[in-house]
Amino acid sequence: MASYFTLIGFGPTGWGWQLVLATWMTLSVSASAFATGLVFGTAGAWAKLSRSRAARRAGDLYTTVMRGIPDLLVVYLFYFGGSEVLTSTARLFGQGGFWGLNSFMAGTLAVGIVSGAYQTEAIRGAYHAIPRGEIEAARAVGMPSLLMLRRIIAPRVLRFALPAMGNVWQSVLKESALISVTGLAEILREIHIGAGSTSRPFDFYLTGFALYLLLTTLSGVAFRGAESWTLRGERRA
Amino acid sequence: MRIFRLLPALAVAVALASPAAFAKDWTKVVIATEGAYMPYNGHSPDGKLIGFEIDLGNNLCARLKIACEWVSQDWDGIIPGLTAGKYDAIMDGMSITAKRLEVLAFTRNYTRAPTVFAVQKDGPLANLPDDGLNVSLDDKTAMDAAVKALTPALKGKVVGAQIATIQADMLNTYFKGIVDIRTYKTTEEHDLDLMAGRIDAALAATSYFVSTLARPGGDKLKLVGPHFTGGLLGLGTGIGFRKSDPELKTMFDKALNEALADGTIKKLSLQWFKTDISPPS
Repeated sequence: MASYFTLIGFGPTGWGWQLVLATWMTLSVSASAFATGLVFGTAGAWAKLSRSRAARRAGDLYTTVMRGIPDLLVVYLFYFGGSEVLTSTARLFGQGGFWGLNSFMAGTLAVGIVSGAYQTEAIRGAYHAIPRGEIEAARAVGMPSLLMLRRIIAPRVLRFALPAMGNVWQSVLKESALISVTGLAEILREIHIGAGSTSRPFDFYLTGFALYLLLTTLSGVAFRGAESWTLRGERRA
Repeated sequence: MRIFRLLPALAVAVALASPAAFAKDWTKVVIATEGAYMPYNGHSPDGKLIGFEIDLGNNLCARLKIACEWVSQDWDGIIPGLTAGKYDAIMDGMSITAKRLEVLAFTRNYTRAPTVFAVQKDGPLANLPDDGLNVSLDDKTAMDAAVKALTPALKGKVVGAQIATIQADMLNTYFKGIVDIRTYKTTEEHDLDLMAGRIDAALAATSYFVSTLARPGGDKLKLVGPHFTGGLLGLGTGIGFRKSDPELKTMFDKALNEALADGTIKKLSLQWFKTDISPPS
């Protein structure tokens, strides 16, 4: 029996490169999902802070639904449900055959939309944390609202939302494992493949454990660094 | 109106995103497999698919003079993926059963391995009765007798099986109320729990347990009790297609019969399973 380090190493019988690729895949799908979530989160926060009653309702509906249903269900909905809708839509336009989102896109969308709901709350909370005096001061000097958004609101929201965004990123990293059900070769799927192909489940699951821990620890360090960077020039109590 | 001008662009974007859009003249067939179910199918460390079904599938495609493309897909979503059209066929140690025949078209069987209990050698079930006896679930009296003979030993014991498999069905049908049934997402997980002593027995196909016994810790296990076949255990494994593609079934049935007749399946079975599980022709 090969030793653990031969098994996960980079030699001819080692799974090292596959695991590196899988880790890269987890990172890229998580980053895409997080970015997608940022778009949805910004729109959601805008809706929830809007003066329009309908927009506020829509924002509430979005965050309530997406935070209230299991993420795995959303992945299934996009991957299997999505191709059914697309295929029948394509048929309407005279295009036969199969149409669908590939596993990367379906997974990114599903995890992204769910994380968008959490990002909505993070951004909304950060907006409320801006001292009213700063906005009043901006108005008092006659700053137009777009300029106020760019110079006052956006930088302040970014700073206040950062810790909560760090948490959302950690959960996106972990939720990306759900995308393994679509066959996307990210960490969990690759670990499962390795375990099933070599009959060494313990070694592979332990490696998966370590890889996720490595990613979450490194991103924890990165977010802490970013937080202290945004706090430079801030008075410390 | 603007939205209608956007639709062609959207359609192009979707076409680029979908890897499996192709014409339906069957010069190419996309086959899905789990890639984590050795020796049926698995991956080598360099990421290539290997295993009994990969060799057999490629052999069949060569006979049919068509191109075969493999995709590896999680077992959980493998049938929905086929019906949704993401690929055209499934070769994944998938047993032919009445339930699956409601949604899929199957070829003839290409393996037929009996279902059996695995237990710890020094555990409470090490001497299960009717060891090695062939019991067909189609034969009601034989099956009733087997259940009756096993009941005293199995009473209250915990037995594991993979969820949504014929083995889980068999436990639910014949042993409900007798044993405590645990279902697992994968067969490996019940193996791990069996080795750890969290469950008393696991139920799976002999062809699968070959790999369990060969892995670290597998020497502590043994296969006991009757060899079950037939009935809801199905006819062995076959290639699954969408019901709307009957021509694929005809093509692959012909190729399988040839491969069975010239000994290819037996040869591959001995190579990968170390035992002949090719079906009676």
